[in-house]
Amino acid sequence: MSSAFSTEPLLHHGFREISRSRFRSRTPTPPPPASLSCAPKPSFRHARRSCGFGPRRGGALRARASSSGAAVVEAFESTDVLFKEAFPLRRNETVEGKIFVRFDQGKDEQNWHLTVGCTLAGKWILHWGISHVGDVGSEWDQPPAEMRPPGSISIKDYAIETPLQKSSTTMDGDEFYEVNISIQSNTNIAAINFVLKDEESGSWYQHRGRDFKVPLMDSLQDDSNIVGAKRGFDLLPGALGQLSNILLKGEASDYKDKKASSDLEVSKQGVQCLQGFYEELPIVKEVSVHNSVNVSVKICPETAKTLVYLETDLPGDVTVHWGVCRDDSKMWEVPAAPYPPETKIFKNKALRTLLQPRGREKGFWGLFALDEEFVGFLFVLKLKEDVWLNCMGEDFYIPVSSIRSSSLLGQKESNSMETSGKTAETNTEVSSTAYTDGIINEIRNLVSDISSEKNRKAKTKEAQESILQEIEKLAAEAYSIFRSALPTFSEEAVLEPEVLKPPKIFSGTGTGFEILCQGFNWESHKPGRWYNELKEKASQLASLGFTVVWLPPPTDSVSPEGYMPTDLYNLNSRYGTIDELKDLVKKFHEVNIRVLGDVVLNHRCAQHKNQNGIWNIFGGRLNWDDRAVVADDPHFQGRGNKSSGDNFHAAPNIDHSQDFVRKDLKEWLCWLRSEIGYDGWRLDFVRGFWGGYVKDYLDATEPSFAVGEYWDSLSYTYGEMDHNQDAHRQRIVDWINATNGTAAAFDVTTKGVLHAALERCEYWRLSDQKGKPPGVVGWWPSRAVTFVENHDTGSTQGHWRFPSGKEIQGYAYILTHPGTPAVFYDHIFSHYQSEIASLISLRNRNKIHCRSTIKITKAERDVYAAIVDEKVAMKIGPGYYEPQSEPQKWSLVLEGRDYKVWEAS
Amino acid sequence: MEVSVIGSSQAKILKTGLACREPGLLSFKNGNDVFWRKSKVSFGQSSGLRNSGVRLTLKAVQTEAIEPQKISRPQSRGGVRLYVGLPLDVVSNSNVVNHARAIAVGLKALKLLGVEGVELPIWWGVVEKEAMGKYDWSGYLAVVEMVHKVGLKLHVSLCFHGSKHAKIPLPEWVRKIGEHNPSIFFTDHTGQQYKECLSLAVDEVPVLEGKTPVQVYNDFCESFKLSFSSFIGSTINGISMGLGPDGDLRYPSHQGISRRSKVPGVGEFQCYDKSMLALLKEHGETTGNPLWALGGPHDAPAYDASPSSNGFFKDHGGSWESPYGDFFLSWYSSLLVRHADRLLSLASSAFGDSEVAISGKVPLVHQWYKTRSHPAELTAGFYNTQNRDGYEAIAKMFARHSCKMILPGMDLTDEGRLQEGLSSPELLLGQILSACKKHGVEVSGENSSDTVACGGFEQIRKHLLAEDAAHSFFYQRMGAYFFSPEHFPLFTQFVRSMKQPQMHTDDLPIVEEEAEEPMAVTSESGIQMQTA
Repeated sequence: MSSAFSTEPLLHHGFREISRSRFRSRTPTPPPPASLSCAPKPSFRHARRSCGFGPRRGGALRARASSSGAAVVEAFESTDVLFKEAFPLRRNETVEGKIFVRFDQGKDEQNWHLTVGCTLAGKWILHWGISHVGDVGSEWDQPPAEMRPPGSISIKDYAIETPLQKSSTTMDGDEFYEVNISIQSNTNIAAINFVLKDEESGSWYQHRGRDFKVPLMDSLQDDSNIVGAKRGFDLLPGALGQLSNILLKGEASDYKDKKASSDLEVSKQGVQCLQGFYEELPIVKEVSVHNSVNVSVKICPETAKTLVYLETDLPGDVTVHWGVCRDDSKMWEVPAAPYPPETKIFKNKALRTLLQPRGREKGFWGLFALDEEFVGFLFVLKLKEDVWLNCMGEDFYIPVSSIRSSSLLGQKESNSMETSGKTAETNTEVSSTAYTDGIINEIRNLVSDISSEKNRKAKTKEAQESILQEIEKLAAEAYSIFRSALPTFSEEAVLEPEVLKPPKIFSGTGTGFEILCQGFNWESHKPGRWYNELKEKASQLASLGFTVVWLPPPTDSVSPEGYMPTDLYNLNSRYGTIDELKDLVKKFHEVNIRVLGDVVLNHRCAQHKNQNGIWNIFGGRLNWDDRAVVADDPHFQGRGNKSSGDNFHAAPNIDHSQDFVRKDLKEWLCWLRSEIGYDGWRLDFVRGFWGGYVKDYLDATEPSFAVGEYWDSLSYTYGEMDHNQDAHRQRIVDWINATNGTAAAFDVTTKGVLHAALERCEYWRLSDQKGKPPGVVGWWPSRAVTFVENHDTGSTQGHWRFPSGKEIQGYAYILTHPGTPAVFYDHIFSHYQSEIASLISLRNRNKIHCRSTIKITKAERDVYAAIVDEKVAMKIGPGYYEPQSEPQKWSLVLEGRDYKVWEAS
Repeated sequence: MEVSVIGSSQAKILKTGLACREPGLLSFKNGNDVFWRKSKVSFGQSSGLRNSGVRLTLKAVQTEAIEPQKISRPQSRGGVRLYVGLPLDVVSNSNVVNHARAIAVGLKALKLLGVEGVELPIWWGVVEKEAMGKYDWSGYLAVVEMVHKVGLKLHVSLCFHGSKHAKIPLPEWVRKIGEHNPSIFFTDHTGQQYKECLSLAVDEVPVLEGKTPVQVYNDFCESFKLSFSSFIGSTINGISMGLGPDGDLRYPSHQGISRRSKVPGVGEFQCYDKSMLALLKEHGETTGNPLWALGGPHDAPAYDASPSSNGFFKDHGGSWESPYGDFFLSWYSSLLVRHADRLLSLASSAFGDSEVAISGKVPLVHQWYKTRSHPAELTAGFYNTQNRDGYEAIAKMFARHSCKMILPGMDLTDEGRLQEGLSSPELLLGQILSACKKHGVEVSGENSSDTVACGGFEQIRKHLLAEDAAHSFFYQRMGAYFFSPEHFPLFTQFVRSMKQPQMHTDDLPIVEEEAEEPMAVTSESGIQMQTA
């Protein structure tokens, strides 16, 4: 640590990396990092002069001299350090705490206090408002001025933000933050609504996706807010005497039970009868934790080996997953033994070494000796539970050879500045130093609160970095919005995240093992009782192996199929009543099938005309006016902004850039989640608005699975479909990207290519130029929902029907391939049922999932074949194919018209 | 609130403090301190900025809702205050904020970068769209609110012109009046009208439902002042007055110049609307030359033509040098000066009592600057030739109203210009700058091209770092290109490089004092983890 010289190059890397990944979709080559560090830099070899271990480090090393690596360690100590760098490590940890709400009486009966607090550290803000007696709808109002605690800030005209203050007392020995609101019970305030916001992380804490609600009057039960009272935050009025009780238990299950009973209680209580209560809720917050790993490099004077010394302050067992490389390509290679103690070979690709504890100090260390011939040392760090830490999304890379060469250079010509420029790697390493330094200077300006000269000099690198990142992020977001108005699309594919990236659970993308059933067709509305009919088939669908069902759009609609919604809160449709729908969802849940709601967010049919006789005023609970309609469709004279996507011309397109629209839609989606029990979404016509808004909706509703319909035309030349459909799938991938990967999309590209391949017997189309599947599934399988037919393409509409008679080949393809397959209702209940059922059970049996690996083994005129996860082989097409019997042995398990599937035995 | 943030990052602070010192030490020891300082990528040490502007950035990350009082006033001792123009159509024709989200995140990014503020074009055609005196400021109020929240400063440009580019025309009711009374628009000798702004000849003629344009502009300013009173002097610290086509002080002499033509032509005189002709006639009569005052010069070339294609602008023996030429050109240019005089005096009386700086924009008509007659400047209304300085009068007038002058074209270089080397943005800029210096007019810079590239930034830097340079700079303008990967990193670099050209020497030697401290870092990082 004595030389923090080393920390700087990292920032440089960091910045460079960010600019690359942020803008990846646009420019294949990132803007040269050199633009940020423009001057020639002092030589690297300065490091050698002033670095070296500080006294404390030395002591620490001696303290563990008895360990097995002692000899090497001593060798290490006696040599000059050539390279030293501290890499910051950032990871997220969850901490648990609780939110508590207390409602009690003040000095007399008119005076009440509401206290909201939180036991986790943070910059907590209470975002709150009130409802009045007789308010219709769910809008908030601002409380009267006398209710607002000091420090409150108005947010528009409907809410107040009040920061929580650190309490002077403690709770169970912990510090906590709280805010107090005084209430006069004789006002006409019906309820206090709030959410808790953490300014540090920007997260909002709600109660089951809804605002917290503290009812002050019973009349609430009688008006339209009954929904809120029932499903909002049910703070249970109860005697104060119970307080200690709850405090002791304070558990969620307990709380649930109470809720049921107290609902009854509430209705019995009179208007005046306010009672105090106390409630706690557990919360979990992700905090980012900063650690670092220090790397130093020396040359062992005796063996001429390169010694790499790692040291980190990470807690717990730390494993270094490492390898070496011979050139700049950074291909991992396993060096020859001997290895440090506690080393294992991992799949012949890398080594895993458990770091040694640092004795008295916190943290761990490891020492690695490399042969001269290796150019670089690569590693990532692994904590327990599959938590991986890398260097800004890439492997850590220590260019040992250039360090060696620069040290030699340095010995030869000790004082000339020019020579250092000769080693390119060194030069970049150091050039960033000055760059960083410059930033540091700038960052000095940032925190002026620390006024002393000494402190002013010292600034945090992490802060700089996060500011830089923040700027980059903001710029990228602004760019993507501004650009969305322009018809440009990026060229480069977004590749599947590398294996070593920390596994991240995205909401909306499921477990990876989903198999979807589209539970309706274009005619399903006709009997008027579809929900009931489908309910009878629920168990059968479950036994066929489906895990997700997609239900038709549930809202009141101008067209009977449901895709022209009017009043979003009216769920009585041609498919059945809201109660029948709830019943159906319940039934599916009983048989372990998750349910996707088909939500139409792009457009909405108006119920009233404006003064010009144009239908653009909405009715129902979301009684928006023409500000909610995009401005660029002259038919509907919207007063909103321009559309952020394509227009759907049959109905007013909703302007998602309006805050009130998004707020209302989020609320509606949350309501669907809680009221109906939907687990996720099928999003209609997402071409019509920017994917970033979808992200917003998904973030608010946290669906377990979501898929968007981004359907546009494939590329054709002279009426013939192009082999290369990269532009088409790029557009879909761009959309998924815009949602931040929170949603999957229907793989329209795959369907299109299957059409051409099967219809014209051109199976070669099923491999793209890089030997991968040609659809979205070839680029981003975990976000691709593959399908053969849906209610638009097939059914009685037949807008783009799959080649007749070849559907089962299509299913043989999608049900054996990565991606998430969706099966159309009409095909399930047809003569294909048994074949489809066998394919599904084969998929489940072999645990094929959306990220399964695929190797295309043949793609010729009349036959296509592939091997998935080295467990399943398949072919479609009339041509001949048998999988090679090496290394696996294959047994044919399914066979039908022009397709065969084998399993490894 | 703040304290907790800073407290929790103490450990990190120590670490980086070292990070920055160490290399300094190293190079110092090696006797390379000179080199080091030079190679410094140089941001930082502006004493003014250190304590004011940038300090807020951290807060901005943390919270949007900072109370305005806490935001320190900008004190620009040295250093250039940088403003970024918001999109021309940030408020749409129908008075809603376009791309509000993009604007919001864009503002944050700018704040974090340490930019002083943004420039907001406020269009007459949006605010007073439907009828005279019926103002709707809602869209702009929303934008100002956003800017205020982020803690940036705001420079407002009052646009009394329309823009084809941004698809924002003049107010509907003004256009309607124009249909019946075409002479309110500038007109060239073929009768072609320029409908994006009113002719300066009608400034004081009651052509707008009984009011003169100057009165209407004045009412507009008063209404603006009233509606934004809580921001003027705090968030809004500058106002520029639209003076003509595209806001520039000039005649629309370029209206007929096709964009395609490789060599920009000389433009044409715009003195053929009824009111202009009447003024000309009057001028002829009072000066005793009634016969010279029947129209513009008969031998002026057409828009796209070169100067020598007709007699008026010829380098040698051109009519511009004749007594007639002087008669016409002094009249034509004096109207422009008087027009600016009227509007700037209007603005300074309207806003004189508030703490805002008033500016006006003078265009950089650099085409044909190296010819003797400067034809493009003459048609635009600047009587600036080889023999005569046309900018003195303008600078003097700006000085009289204590207005700042906005000068565009700071990104342009002489190199790579077409026109056989007869254009010279750099020389012209130099001339105007020296006129301003002479009369004590403060200058703000602006870029001309929408797509400033590497060399452009270099040129801007050169101008801004020069002695007596501009005190502020308007960078035009935010939009897709601005945030694009090919541009934004360059801009970022530019902003940082503007912050401070040099590293202070007193930063270097402190190094050794704390050399022992690094160990504290490791031990403290443990604490950090717990608090984080």
